[in-house]
Amino acid sequence: MAMPGQLMFARRLGPTARLAIWFAIGVACVVLDVRYQAMNGVRSGLALLLDPVRVALRAPADVAAELEGFFTRHRLLQKERDELLAERTRLRLDAEAARDLARENAALRALLGLRDRPGQRAVQAALLYQGHDWFTQRITLDRGASSGLTDGLPVVDDAGLLGQLTRVYAGSSEVTLVSSPEQLTPVYIERTGQRGLAAGTGHGRLELRYMPTQADVRVGDRLLTSGIDRVYPPALPVARVTRITRSQSGPYLRVECAPLAGLDRARAVLVLAAAPAPRLAAPQPAGKAVQ
Amino acid sequence: MSAAARETGGWRRIAGTLTLAVLLTELPWDGWALTLRPDFILVAVLFWTLHQPARVGFGVAFMLGLLADFQDGAVFGQHAIAYVVGVYLVSFLRVRLLRFDPLRQAAQMFPILLAAQLAAMLIGWLAVEPPQGLAILLPAPASVVLWYAIALFRRAWHGKSLQDAE
Repeated sequence: MAMPGQLMFARRLGPTARLAIWFAIGVACVVLDVRYQAMNGVRSGLALLLDPVRVALRAPADVAAELEGFFTRHRLLQKERDELLAERTRLRLDAEAARDLARENAALRALLGLRDRPGQRAVQAALLYQGHDWFTQRITLDRGASSGLTDGLPVVDDAGLLGQLTRVYAGSSEVTLVSSPEQLTPVYIERTGQRGLAAGTGHGRLELRYMPTQADVRVGDRLLTSGIDRVYPPALPVARVTRITRSQSGPYLRVECAPLAGLDRARAVLVLAAAPAPRLAAPQPAGKAVQ
Repeated sequence: MSAAARETGGWRRIAGTLTLAVLLTELPWDGWALTLRPDFILVAVLFWTLHQPARVGFGVAFMLGLLADFQDGAVFGQHAIAYVVGVYLVSFLRVRLLRFDPLRQAAQMFPILLAAQLAAMLIGWLAVEPPQGLAILLPAPASVVLWYAIALFRRAWHGKSLQDAE
């Protein structure tokens, strides 16, 4: 029964009104985030809170890997050792050749008066968490601004270019993978030196864009970063051409590539922390010397 | 058990399961497991919306949605809106859903979970770019299976406690 002084039909907001209100707040969040990048503070705060949790939750997987390694059979280890010995011999030969090439290269560079590539400082990082966003492909690393990382730095693993840092928090950072849709990487074809743009297509693949139909591209060609964007250092392996289709309608070839880096299996990666020096900085000392 | 004690016990249980859902999502999933990973947080939120509508509703769903957005590195608001849509549908169909046994209830949850997933897809589509294929909808069936398991567990648990009480 209604008490005196109490509204008889007073009631809380209905679910539809609440849905409308929360929907409006949600849309405001989306707009603030996409259009004005205003939510980065919230992201950093959440990263600070959740990083320890993520590090702790990585422990079970690490323990499982340890155990698996512990129970690996003796015979397997022996076989692996023999293979490694053989590979070491081969690598030693390669290293000799590389040293020779480096000497020759240094001599040629000196002749041309070019500067050496500035020393890259590489920061080791480990995969912390793989996000499940369907619109971009991202992974989270366990290093961040406290290790000197900033937005835009290239990330590599032992096989090639993995991607680029797009969000850096205090103790972690997010990498947008090269295969992420609309992620562009300036590349050149190793065999011919022809430059092009590799764009991610999602599904862990890339596509070499804007190749004229008469261009010399073959299945198996390696694509390396060209370095003309001054974001990626030159000659990092990016992808290998897997399929070429000639389209009847368009003026360009459709060139599909598979990334060389282990986008879905890399655990330990390197972030190349020193950005390539700007080209304009080089002539200054020379000018001073003249004065 | 006094009413107050039951009250705090209920709160503790809700907070515990929601935290568990967040922790499960935080595990380093990868490969197929990641593609098929059920949306633990959404299932937990909808479960409590169904059984404790006075305590868990739009606000909790929205906040946990923002957390899910951060975890996936998605646009802020994508999961938040999806979860709010899910809560709305569950509160709309609540009386109906409560009348079914676990299997039928899970089957009835499928369109709701799918709608939440579609809402997330739509927001991402409008805010960022078109989605890559329909793999985006795979977590919905996985969430239904999870819902079925939870509903079975709840019936077993609840039945036992009712017998104890009477």
